Parts: sequence; C-alpha cells; structure tokens
Amino acid sequence: MTVTLTHYLVLGALLFVCGALCMALKRNGIGVLMGVELVLNGANVNFVALAHFNPAFAVEGQIFALFVIVMAAAEAAIALAIVLNFYNNHLSVDVDTAEELKG
Amino acid sequence: MSALSEQPGLYFVVATILPMVSFLLLILTAFLRHAARACDSPLCNTLYRVLGGGRPGRTAAYVATTAIALSFVCSLVGAIHFASHGQDHHRIEELKEEAHHLESEFAHRPVEEHPKIEKELQTVNAEIHRLESKWVGRIEWANPAGPYGTKKDARASILYVGYRIDNLTVVMFLMVTLIATLIHIFSIGYMSEELAEEVEDHQVHTADGHLKRRGRFGRFFLFLSLFCFSMLNLVLADNLFQVFVSWELVGICSYLLIGFNYERQSASNAANKAFITNRVGDAGFVIGLLIIWTYIGTFNFEEIFKTIRAPLTDSHGVRPLRTKIDGEYVPLGARIVRANLVVEDGEKKLVPSQTGDQAVLFSPKVHLHVEDADPGDETDESKWYLKSFYPDFDSTDSMPYWLLVAAGLGIFVGCVGKSAQFPLHVWLPDAMEGPTPVSALIHAATMVAAGVYLVARAFPLFTAEALIVIAYVGGITLFVAATIAIVQTDIKKVLAYSTVSQLGYMMLALGVGGWVAGIFHLITHAFFKALLFLCSGSVIFGCHHEQEMTKMGGLFPKMKITALTMLVGVLTIAGTPLFSGWYSKDMIVAQSLGYVRLHPEHFLLFLLPVVTAGITTFYMFRMWLMTFTGKPRDKHVFEHAKESPATMTIPLIVLAVFSICVAWGWPLHDPEASHLNKVIHHGQPHHVLADFGGLAELGELEHAPGLVFKHVERSERYWALKLHGLAELSAFVAAGIGVIFAFLLYYQSRQTGKTRLDPEEAREQFPGVYALFANKWYFDELYSALLVRPALRVSQWCKAFDLRGIDGVINGSGRCTVTLSRWSGWVDRYIVDGLVNLIASVSYGVGSWLRRVQTGYIRSYVLFLVLAAIGVFAILSYFLAMAAAG
Repeated sequence: MTVTLTHYLVLGALLFVCGALCMALKRNGIGVLMGVELVLNGANVNFVALAHFNPAFAVEGQIFALFVIVMAAAEAAIALAIVLNFYNNHLSVDVDTAEELKG
Repeated sequence: MSALSEQPGLYFVVATILPMVSFLLLILTAFLRHAARACDSPLCNTLYRVLGGGRPGRTAAYVATTAIALSFVCSLVGAIHFASHGQDHHRIEELKEEAHHLESEFAHRPVEEHPKIEKELQTVNAEIHRLESKWVGRIEWANPAGPYGTKKDARASILYVGYRIDNLTVVMFLMVTLIATLIHIFSIGYMSEELAEEVEDHQVHTADGHLKRRGRFGRFFLFLSLFCFSMLNLVLADNLFQVFVSWELVGICSYLLIGFNYERQSASNAANKAFITNRVGDAGFVIGLLIIWTYIGTFNFEEIFKTIRAPLTDSHGVRPLRTKIDGEYVPLGARIVRANLVVEDGEKKLVPSQTGDQAVLFSPKVHLHVEDADPGDETDESKWYLKSFYPDFDSTDSMPYWLLVAAGLGIFVGCVGKSAQFPLHVWLPDAMEGPTPVSALIHAATMVAAGVYLVARAFPLFTAEALIVIAYVGGITLFVAATIAIVQTDIKKVLAYSTVSQLGYMMLALGVGGWVAGIFHLITHAFFKALLFLCSGSVIFGCHHEQEMTKMGGLFPKMKITALTMLVGVLTIAGTPLFSGWYSKDMIVAQSLGYVRLHPEHFLLFLLPVVTAGITTFYMFRMWLMTFTGKPRDKHVFEHAKESPATMTIPLIVLAVFSICVAWGWPLHDPEASHLNKVIHHGQPHHVLADFGGLAELGELEHAPGLVFKHVERSERYWALKLHGLAELSAFVAAGIGVIFAFLLYYQSRQTGKTRLDPEEAREQFPGVYALFANKWYFDELYSALLVRPALRVSQWCKAFDLRGIDGVINGSGRCTVTLSRWSGWVDRYIVDGLVNLIASVSYGVGSWLRRVQTGYIRSYVLFLVLAAIGVFAILSYFLAMAAAG
C-alpha cells in the first residue's frame, strides 16, 4: 500500500480535530496550548504533503511549513508567558477562571 | 507790548480774552475743589479748604469783576489809540485806489517802465498791509476741505477767526465792558444771599418744606464771565461764522442764567422757552449762512460786502459806476445790482435791470469798464455808463436775487430771535426769572441788543425788501410790547416789555435807513435800561424779593437813591429833552418820518413809534409812581423795605450819570453835535448812503469819493434831517400826553391813597382792550394752539404709532418667532431627535442582546471557531460539489 496524498490529508485532519477538541475541552491552559500545537502541526502535515505531491507547491509548501514552525515557537513563547502571568495572578491555569473580558 | 503798539487792535482781543481767563480759572478751581472733596488725604483736605471749602466765597466775584474791569481798561486804551488813528481807514482807501490805479498802468505804459511801477506798487501794498493789520487780524481756524480741496473750493472752505476794529466795535466794546463792570459790582451786593452754605428757596416746595441748597455765588460769576467773553467775541468778530458761534455762546449763557434757580419750575420753563425760541431764529440764521457760504464763498464781512455791493468806480478808478435803464442813468456804486442773464450771439452776459432776477457778484478781480455812449465822444461825461457784465470774465458772477433777499431775511430771523422781536418776542418777558443783574446785563443791555448789532453790522447784506420787513417787524414789536407793558404789575415784566419795545425802535430805525439812529439808541438804551433794571433789582432786594407793584407804593422815603436814580432812568426812556434817550429816540422818529415822507403808503412806520412814545412814557411813569409814591399797598412789605448797600447804589449812580450825559455834545440841544453820535456816524458803512442818500450837511460826501448818491429830494436821510423838528415835537407831545395820563391814573395822594382817575374804572370801560393787553395779545395762547399743541398731538400720534405700529410689528414678529420656534422645537425634539434616539436604542438593544455571546470562556470561543470552520467547510464543499456537478 502506497501512502497517497489522501492519507496525509486524513492524518492532517485527524491532528486538526484532535487539536481543536483539545483546545475546546481542556481547562488547563497548558493543555490548550498543546491543542494549538496539534492544530498547527495538522496544517503543517497538509503543507508538506501538498509540497510533496503537487510540484507546483514544491517550494512554497515547505517554506510555509517552516514559517508555521517558527510562528508556533513564537506563539508558544508568548502564550506560555501569558499563562505564567495568569498563574501568578490567579494561582491557577484554569482557562475558565479567565472570564474578565466577558462582554 | 511792542506788538500792542504795532497792532493796537490787539487791545480789544486782550479785552475779549480776559473774561475767558476768569471763566477758565473759576471753572478749573471748581473742578479741583470738587475732586479734592472726593478724596480723603491730608493734602486733598488742605487743597479743598484753600479752594474755598464748603462755604461759597467772594473770591469768584473778585476774579470775575477784576477781569471785566481790566477788559474795560483795555477797551478804553484801545479806544484812545483808535481815536488817535482815526484817519487810517481813509488813508487805506486812498492807498487802495492808488494801487488800483498803478495796476491799470501796466496796460498803458511801455514795457520798460513796468519794473518801476512794480516797485511803487509794492511800497503801496506794504503800506496798506501795515495800516490794515493795525486794526484787522485773522488766523485760520478750520479748513473742512483739508489740503486737498480744489483751488476753487479752497476759497470757500477755510473758516477764520479774526477781529476787525471799527467805530461800531469800539463803541460796543466800551458800552459792554463798562456796563458789565458796573453790573458785576452790583451783583456782589445783590447775590450776597448766595454766599450762605445753605440757601432756602422759598419758591420751591419739597416734601420736607422749602428746598435747601448750597449757595451759588461762584457759579453766578462763572456764567457772567463766560457771557462777557462771548458777547465781546461777538462784537469783535470779523466774520459771520464767528458771530454765529458767539451768538450760540451768549444763548447758552442766557439759558444757564435764566435757569439759575432751576429747581423752580417757572425758571426752568423760562430757560427752555428762551432757548427753544432762539433756536427758531437760529434756524433762519443758519439758512442765511448757508446761502452766503454757497454763493459768496466767504463769511468775512468786508469780503461779503465787496462781493454783493458794487464798487464806487469802474476798474480804471476814474469813472463813477452807473448804468442806463429805460433811458435813465442809474448809479450803481455801493449798491446791490440786479441784472438779467442774457445770451447774445452765443455769449452770456448780465444786463443791469431794475427788476432783474439775478444779483451781480463783484469779485475783486472783475474788470468793470464804463463805456462811452457814443464811441469817440469822450468829452460828455454825463453819457458814460456800463452796459453789461460779462460772466466770461470768469470773475463776475451772479446769484439769484431772491436768494440774496432770503439770505438777508435769514440773518434777520436770527436777529428777531435774539433781540426778541415780533413774532419771537415771547421769551424775553419770561426770561425775567433769572436774577435781576442778569436781566440788566443780558436781557436788556447787551445780548438782546446783539440782534440789532448784527443787523447794523450786516447792513449792506440787506436788500430793499429785507429792509422793509425789518422796519415793519420793528414797528409792530415796539407797539405790541408797549401796549402789553401798560398792564403788567410785575416790576421786572414792565421793564422786559419795555426792552422789547425799545429794541423794536432800533430795528425800525435800521429798517428805514437810520443806521446811526439805531446804534445810537442801542447805546443809550443799554445805559438807561441797565440802570432801570438795576434799580428794579435794588427795589426787589430791598423788599425781600417782592416783585409785584401791587404790593409796593410809597417806597420813596425808604429808598431815596434807588428812587431818584430810577426816576432818571424813567425820564431818559420817556425822552425828556437833554437826557440821552431824547437824542436817540427823536432821531429814530425823525428817520421814520423822513421815510414816510417819501413812502406815504408806509405811514404806520411813523405813526407807531410816535404813539408808542406816548405809551412808553405812560407805562414807565406808571411803574415809578406805583412803586415809589402814594400810600403803601402792603404794610408788611413797606415796613421791611430798606435801601440797598453801597455796592448796589454806586453802580446805580454811575449808570444814572451815564444815562443823562452819554449823548451830550455842544451845543447841547443838537443831536447831531452829540459826540457819541459823531463816533457812530463815522462808523456808518457807505452803503447806507447809497440806499438812503448821503448828506453834505453831515460831511458824508468827503469820505466817499465817487459815490453817486440819491437825489436829495429822494433821500430818506435828507428828509429825516429836515423834518427832525417836527418829529421831535410830535414825540414830545405824545410823551406829554402819556405823562399826564400816568399822573391822573396812578399818582395817589399819600394820605387818602386816592387817584384823580380810577384805573379800575378805566379798565372796566375798555374790557376787551384790557383783556387783549393783559393776555399779551394772546401770543402765548396762539403759539400754544398753533405750535405747541399740534406738536404735542403729533407727538401723541408718533407715540401711538410707535407703540402700536412699530412696537406692534416688533412684538408681532417676536411672537411669530416664538411660535415658529415652538413648532421647530417640537419637530426637533420628537422627529429629528426621535429618529436619532430610535437608531441608538435599537443599536443598544441589539448590542446588549449580542453581548451574551461574549462569554469570556476561551473554550466556548474555540467551540465557535470550530463550528464556524466546519460551517465554512460545509458551505465550501456544497458549492464545490455544485460546481463539480454543474
């Protein structure tokens, strides 16, 4: 069995769904961040797969993937800083307690 | 000092300025004192006390009296200088003729002689200038057109202030300053009650008794000083505009002094009446000024006269100016020349005519050429005449004749107001509300005579039509005023009407050509009427401000000096021979007789003054008899009556002496020999001779070379001189009848208090006449009905129109605006704002509903995100599927 584009796309979708569920269901801030990583990596899988299978995107797909990795790193740094500050203020990383911005 | 000896005319200028200095000094002190009282520092307090403090002091009187006395001295010195340089004017005339002659030489002599003539001309002109500037001077006052006026306008745009001293000025100056000095001295005594810190005015009632006010001693002398300055400036002026300014200044002084006790309703009414009546006259004055300004372009008396009156000779200085109308030779020299504007061969020219509608204006540069009737025949001088004036000489021009008449009448209307002539005489009797010295100075001797003075001064301006109006106004005034004076019981009112009547005499004299007689009477009247007023003042002062003759009587033993000096005044005004009034009044009567002799249709002009001479004597003796003789009518007044102090009686005695002697000359019985008369006679403008004839008997022909006079048989002045005896006799008889009636009716025996004839009976016999006189010929009622009440009614209409019409429109528009605004407000509030608010509240509702979505839980946001992503994905898939299918 050869691994086709569809397999990759399904993997990507699975990762995305896992990540999205993780974001929606986890009350732990760190968990949410992990969900984000999953979503981003789901997208990355798609980029890379498309770069591999579609010659028109050969370079662009890989570069986008690299961008996403860099961006994810930056995002993780900022998000972890936010989580740490939040913990300092609330002694908790439960995102449900962060409801002051409610309209 | 050297300026004064070089220009002795400045003595009179100094005399004029002195009272002004006194006025400024007094008013400055008053301001300073006022200012010092307001602030509260030791320095100010000292200043306040030094300047008089709370109590009115006599210093003001001393300052003012010294100033006017110095004025008198200055005028006297000036007059002495003037008398010793009396020939100057004739010398100037001669030099001017010489200059004129030299100018015309240029045309006749060869060119090489021109520099020599030029040099001679320069010397002559320098001499003229030196002589002229002795008694004449002026400085530029205002130039309304500014430096940019065109050359033609420049002549008519500069107002000068200047002086010109001639005989008339000198005589007026001496009279005014002397009488003013005496009245100042008299006032120190008369006004002494005003020295109190608190004066009670018994005629003004307030809620808590009589009005109490600070004494106004200083204020009185302040006003007097201002008046003296204005009056002297009026006499000094060399131009009509300066006269007009002074005219208004004396008017305001009169107003201020009539209203001296302004808390009294009667006084403030009288002041207003005087002021407003005078404004009516001044309106005429202004019209006259405007006409003169427009057509003649100068206000200077000399220049005006030179422009409207023809020169004596033609431009060559030889041939007397005359013209030929209907084959008859008519002299033009010194006359107002009427002409018709004729266009002949496309050339405009003015042809002299007796009925021409233009008055010729003579510019100094006009070339007048008297032609020979028959060219070539230069020998027959009797046929030389001037055919026409050519306007294209650019300097001869003309003005409508009727405007010249109007200018004269306008000026005269001003004089009618100031001199209280019919029909504007109503203010003078009311003006007696002022303190008696004021009545004597302003309303008898000087200011009211200013009208007569101005008519005399501006005499050459008056056309024949204007002069006859002047004569009739004078005639009516003198009669009407005298009749009213008969029935007055207030001692000052009798004198007031007498003044009006005497001023009428002067106007009449001027109107019928008695220029000298009018001014002569002005001067003598000033003395005796000032005397009479001061005597009445002394009586009033002695009787504690009782003015009603019905409460007097028998005062002779109580106040002998006053009674005797007043008797002198009465005898003078009655025309007792050898008293000054006799000379002047008889001259007036004689002049009017001379006039009537030639113009019998104007017989009233003789009848009125003669009859009035009798009436005058009657009412003056009536006044004296009622005051000083018979049985005392009021015990209380009689018991408290006393003679006045010396400051008051000495001026009376001085004035009495002047009243008797001022007109004397030698021989005593000859009015023409009177020194005063001679001085005035020398000041007579030669235009009078042109209009009314010159008299060789009086030496008038010597100083007016080349003047062609009226034929002696047609000369009013000749007949006046010839019929003097007859006039004298008729006036004397009339006066005698007046005296007899006065004694019959008003001389009471001291014991019984009975008279020969009962005035009551006389009154009852002529009730109509009595009512007419007692009500002053109903002039006040007439003016009230004709002017005051219509004016009030018009005012009422205006008020109603204002209230209903104008205010109605304004209020209506206001109300409309309010209603409109209310509607607009409603629309604004409910429609515009409603819409805005609706949108806002809808947004608000939607917003507050939507805010519930913002839960603040990250998880729910993510859920929305995921759902949205799924939704978008589903829609995309649907469209992609459709696209793939279709």
